[in-house]
Amino acid sequence: MNTEYDIDLVERYFDNELSEGESALVDERLKTDAEFRAFFNRERALIRSIRSAGFSRDLQLLKEIERGISAADKGHQLRIQPWYFAAAAAVALFVVAALWILPPGNSPDQLFDDYFTPVSNTFAPALRGSDTPSQPEAFRYYDHGDYATAASLFDEMLGQETGPDLLLLSANAHLAAGNTRVAEQHLTTLIRDFDDYDTPAKWYLGLCYLKQGDVDKARTVLEELGQREVFYTGQAKELLQKVK
Amino acid sequence: MAREDIIGKIRSGGPAGLAMIYEEHRDEFLHWIRKEYGCSEDDSKDIYQVTILAFYDNVRSGKLQHLVSSIKTYLFGIGKNIVRDTMRKSTRHIAIDQERWLNENLIDEPGDAIPEHVFASAKSALERLGEPCRKLVELFYYERKSMEEIVGILNYKNAEVAKNQKCKCMKRLRRLCEEEIKRTSITINHEY
Repeated sequence: MNTEYDIDLVERYFDNELSEGESALVDERLKTDAEFRAFFNRERALIRSIRSAGFSRDLQLLKEIERGISAADKGHQLRIQPWYFAAAAAVALFVVAALWILPPGNSPDQLFDDYFTPVSNTFAPALRGSDTPSQPEAFRYYDHGDYATAASLFDEMLGQETGPDLLLLSANAHLAAGNTRVAEQHLTTLIRDFDDYDTPAKWYLGLCYLKQGDVDKARTVLEELGQREVFYTGQAKELLQKVK
Repeated sequence: MAREDIIGKIRSGGPAGLAMIYEEHRDEFLHWIRKEYGCSEDDSKDIYQVTILAFYDNVRSGKLQHLVSSIKTYLFGIGKNIVRDTMRKSTRHIAIDQERWLNENLIDEPGDAIPEHVFASAKSALERLGEPCRKLVELFYYERKSMEEIVGILNYKNAEVAKNQKCKCMKRLRRLCEEEIKRTSITINHEY
């Protein structure tokens, strides 16, 4: 039978809270006291099981991400591939984080701040040949982080021609500038009228709803996205079930 | 993202940092390791995943606080060590047993070998632990969060309360483990 003192000693050993003298005592007891050694190793097994579960979960997550990337490499190339996978991974991570890591009291606004990064502008090279005068400027402002100006210029461009690339960038610029209503309109148009960027559009729409403080709508969009994604781990699905 | 930002993001608990790093350095790492060591595509990916987890653990544990080189260089350094370690153990090809490597290098504390049935009982006990205890012990022992950080995450009153709660959870986990060990022993005895 282990005494309370021994239990406390071993627990503090694994928590790195022992003094030098106490550490020496543990080392000595491990050599001479079989019962103490057995208890010590059982504690080690418990901590190993906790760490093992954490590593397994994260390894599984990386494998899911890798499966998605490999699948796309074999024939589902998208124009915004690097972003696409980051977004898809982020969806899974977002749900895990929102339910597991982040404090229950985190505000939707804070979650938005933690997870919103404007989509990378990988579209400009394909569009620079256009004659539209404001086009290079809009991209430049976007790349420099002046999202309010970029949003305004993108809207001018959208007045002339509506395309999925512009809608996605414009929505991001508006979202970054705090114009969530316009961002929502662009994203819903993108999802409704085009097939190109459903995944990133839904990801940003989920974030947009969070910014608006509408957690239920955000959750609905993220759930839908999660169910469609090959990256989504069984564990994340399980967590999602709990939140339902 | 700047490298210090990445370290801060990982340390502050965001798993998003893990995926961002994975995606950001993946192509270069896989290309390098295949060219340098002749690894197969699958082996390269296995090594890369373990490399990312080792990096992540180094950041969380505080072993890595400031990068003197780029994240890429650091990852390549870890990868090189893993390959060399794996090559020492296998002369035929560079395949890594991920679970075994993680266990030997990152998970377990040094000491005597833990009997398999004890570890199996510990795993079963953890599965039965329930929330919020499971989350609490994982935050502490896997994520390596301080009690102050856990207070923020699980909304405890203060660090002292969080610590007391962690002790209670470990006590409960020990009891569950005892039960599992006894149950296993009874089963084994019945079988014979």
